[in-house]
Amino acid sequence: MFGYYIKLALKSVKRNPILSLLMITAIALGIGASMTTITVNYLMSADPIPNKSHQLFHIQVDSWDPNNAFNDDEDALPNQLTWTDATNFIHAKKALRQSAMGMSGAIIEPAGDDAKPFEASIRLAYTDFFAMFEVPFIYGTPWESASDNNREQVIVLSKRINESVFGGENSVGKTIIVDGRSFQVVGVIDDWQPMPKFYDVNNGAFNETEEVFMPFSLKEELELPNWGNNSCWKSPEGEGYSAFLRSECINTQMWVELPDETAKAEYMGFLNNYVMEQKELGRFPRPLKNRLSNVMQWMESQEVVEEDAKMMMWLSFMFLLVCLLNTIGLLLAKFTGKSAEIGLRLAVGASKADLFKQHLVESAMIGLLGGIAGLGLAVLGLQGIKSLYGDFVDDLATLDISMILVALSIALLSSIAAGLYPTWRACNIAPASQLKSQ
Amino acid sequence: MNLPFSRIAFRPIISTLLRQKYAMTMLLLQIALTLAVISNGLFIISQRLDILQRPSGIDEPNIFVLTSSGFTENFNPQTSMQADLAELRQMPNIINAVATYSFPFSGSGDWDELQTLAGSDQNTVPAASYKLDENGIDALGLSLLAGENFTASEVLWQTEDNKTFPSVAIITTSVATDLFNTTDWASVVGKTIYINDIHSVVVKGIVLQLQAPWDPVGQIENSIIYPRVVTRNSARYLIRAKLSMLQETTADVEQYLGMSNQQRMIRKVESIKTIRKQVYGPDIAAITILLVVITALSIISAMGIAGMASFNVIKRHKQIGIRRALGANKVDILSHFFVENIIQTTGGIFIGCIFALGLNVFLVAQYALPKLPLTYIFIGIFCLYLLGILATLKPALKAMNISPAEATRSQ
Repeated sequence: MFGYYIKLALKSVKRNPILSLLMITAIALGIGASMTTITVNYLMSADPIPNKSHQLFHIQVDSWDPNNAFNDDEDALPNQLTWTDATNFIHAKKALRQSAMGMSGAIIEPAGDDAKPFEASIRLAYTDFFAMFEVPFIYGTPWESASDNNREQVIVLSKRINESVFGGENSVGKTIIVDGRSFQVVGVIDDWQPMPKFYDVNNGAFNETEEVFMPFSLKEELELPNWGNNSCWKSPEGEGYSAFLRSECINTQMWVELPDETAKAEYMGFLNNYVMEQKELGRFPRPLKNRLSNVMQWMESQEVVEEDAKMMMWLSFMFLLVCLLNTIGLLLAKFTGKSAEIGLRLAVGASKADLFKQHLVESAMIGLLGGIAGLGLAVLGLQGIKSLYGDFVDDLATLDISMILVALSIALLSSIAAGLYPTWRACNIAPASQLKSQ
Repeated sequence: MNLPFSRIAFRPIISTLLRQKYAMTMLLLQIALTLAVISNGLFIISQRLDILQRPSGIDEPNIFVLTSSGFTENFNPQTSMQADLAELRQMPNIINAVATYSFPFSGSGDWDELQTLAGSDQNTVPAASYKLDENGIDALGLSLLAGENFTASEVLWQTEDNKTFPSVAIITTSVATDLFNTTDWASVVGKTIYINDIHSVVVKGIVLQLQAPWDPVGQIENSIIYPRVVTRNSARYLIRAKLSMLQETTADVEQYLGMSNQQRMIRKVESIKTIRKQVYGPDIAAITILLVVITALSIISAMGIAGMASFNVIKRHKQIGIRRALGANKVDILSHFFVENIIQTTGGIFIGCIFALGLNVFLVAQYALPKLPLTYIFIGIFCLYLLGILATLKPALKAMNISPAEATRSQ
């Protein structure tokens, strides 16, 4: 029977080609627009490390100005740590894994006379960074934790840097000149681009992963420039790099891995004790307030999803709604036009349920066709978004299977919903009135 | 003689419309939502256009920047910078050049808190801090309204960590107004202000405009210039070329600097125009997306209106024939459909105004958008009437041409 309904639906779609095309186009445009914006929002708010996002915590302590909160919101905590606090937390070693981190950059001079020096971005971190964030390695391993303590000049390269400096071969054990100093390569990582780049959203939540990684302790040792965000409520006391590092300026992020609630509670206790101790030393003038946010909480609090993206999504939902209302109106018109045919079928014995099913199949078919066309439009829309926003959204503008399923189900469900009332109306006509000649 | 439109029978039109309750509701809601999206969308577009039109105060079309990064152990940043700037300033196509890490659209830089009285309990005015030598004003193309430019002897050449503070500064008109609540710029020159609660400087000059390099606080017009040059291994030069000489000059400078000193590399050579486009990219993108949505929505709505009208024409084929046979002329039929459309649109607009304001209330609450001025609703209303009439045109013309003989034919 279902096959027969599909045949009837196809016939009916073909009978009013313009009307059908109008409905399919309307659904397609609505689905296209809303899928484009939903995809962008979905990817912006995606969980970048799903199997661990509940165990990784970003640390915040309120080391800010006694007179003002970190920003207009009284509850706001500084979004980064001072170098001093981050270093102290690392030395306390109270978490399963932990890494303070910062951003820097330097010139890399490849060997060979004709090779040109180039600038590379650096992520300064502790060795736990790689295990904590499950960074994939092609060659070698992270550096030893002794290298962190001894401030050894060791380096982990990204795949791209390894290709441009060493031609892509296994470079573990070789040396590379960075910032005029020689570093020993200990590992090469595979392509790794968490989306969003959750571990440092302050410096661009959708920026590229840094090109090389080296021990955070080298920041002080080599006086590496601070590339990331730096905010101060109080100028450094004294001159020189060391005074800058030891100031109340915040420029360091820190993540810890805490496997369960107990570990989290213990860590929170440790932080509170630490701040109380520092208060005795005259630091932390604000009321005691510390926070551990897991990956998704952190991204939520830092408003990683652009407001524009959300606003566009709401507007495109309204757009879809208009398209559906349009379809309902047109379906009503179409089914009313078919009342003579419906009357005839009722008169020759079809039940209302049969007719209802038949017309739902017809609306669903229109929805499905619209949904498929809408997916095509969404692909075009995402291409458009790429060309508008530039390369950095490349990873934000791709359709995956789940998005395709979402699109088709929205199209199908909404067209069935749109078809319900017109169908119900169509099935409730008195056959006799329709059989009379007009 | 009767005017053609004086014969419109409103009552029958309204009663037909009321008989198609559900189809009508759908159409009205559609028109209403379209109005809500169009008026709010246009408003957001105009907001973004305002951002794009903010003046930066600098000679945007003729300026480019580049970074010179020294990478060897014995590279001396200060001598390298002084040599480079001296050479650049005497090049024939260059008006002036200056070393600076921040400039409008550069996206990073420091913000200072300024106050007119010393003490930590004073009200402060935030201002983006620029560090420029005496060539800065000319190199950026700023207009000095009152006071004087820095002299060469006032300029401090410092490393990043050097804390010696200059004794004078130049501020923008917007900072002057925020601090002293006046527009008499000359009266502000010579006054002392306090920076970050500890340093005091004397206002030496006032420039009309200088946009902040980035805007974390919503005070993009507030800037202060100190006579300082900060030396780092990586220096950034801002170069102002003579009118329409930008491209040639960029190439010449890049080549010259690349050859002159092998201990550094030249990178990130970009014109202000390019950087500006990147900075405003998201706003341009938002405008484009909104325009696409508004256009598509208008087309959909027009299709809906046209679809309903054609359907009505087909359904009333016979009735139209009868009316024609009973003496209605072509204009009567045409005007019937237009009036029907205008009544529909008007109904939709009534609901639409409520939707538009509702949507705006939502956007104000969620995304800090300002309140929707009524002008945008009126523009939306005008668009919808136009859209409705255009969409009804074809079906109405078709109806007009139905022959009176149709009345006699059986369907």
